[in-house]
Amino acid sequence: MYVPSAVTKQAEIEAAIARVQQSIGPDVVRIRYDIGEDWSGQWAVFFRILLTDDAARHRLRDVATKVVWELARQLDFPGMGVFPYHNFRSVSEQSMLQEPAWA
Amino acid sequence: MGLADELFKDAHFLADKGITDQRQTMMRRSISTAYYAAFHLFIEDFVEHWEFPDQRARLGRMFGHGKMCTAFTPKDKKNPTTVEQELQDVITAFSQLQKDRERADYDGGWRLVETDVRNAIRLAEDVFAKWRKIKDEDIARHHLLSMFGARSD
Repeated sequence: MYVPSAVTKQAEIEAAIARVQQSIGPDVVRIRYDIGEDWSGQWAVFFRILLTDDAARHRLRDVATKVVWELARQLDFPGMGVFPYHNFRSVSEQSMLQEPAWA
Repeated sequence: MGLADELFKDAHFLADKGITDQRQTMMRRSISTAYYAAFHLFIEDFVEHWEFPDQRARLGRMFGHGKMCTAFTPKDKKNPTTVEQELQDVITAFSQLQKDRERADYDGGWRLVETDVRNAIRLAEDVFAKWRKIKDEDIARHHLLSMFGARSD
């Protein structure tokens, strides 16, 4: 069964996430991720990006674009055999939903 | 106004209303409609070049959702040209929209929040703006063929 190399590169992914958070600053509260298959059966890395309320409400375009670009700069997704997906949420929204995957 | 632009307008309306009224169904329809707006944007651009207007709708129905997320690799991955980067951005945004549309339509357990909806609208806006800027560039025209299912040279 085919498994992409991303599965064995989680330390690299975590280090890249740390660099991205540092470069973008406090707008990004934390980034979590999972590796798995998407709806079409293609392997993917699913990023869950928690933003401050201010960033989510007033600067979503700028911050989301920066996060997507920076992650793509830091990680060779095609080389790791995965497609990246990014979902965003604000601190208040997560406070309301209390979903463990975003904690 | 073409179908793509009308759908895009509807997506905005559903987003605003869904968020204001906190209606999960409207928020889901907004995300789905944003995706279909982008989907029809590509189809309209493809079929407009077919000489026979009465056959364009039939040609457009040949597009398959899965194939449309075909990947693109810049010539120099570390230094993409501006157009290559914008094409990459279009593909990334469209693929994300497609995934979100699947969830919005079929994942009953997804509890949507305002940021999910605003992000989908943002992605659709990016697809529209960036695609319309680059659609006449060679790499964009070639990529549109790939989205239709044509094999590479």
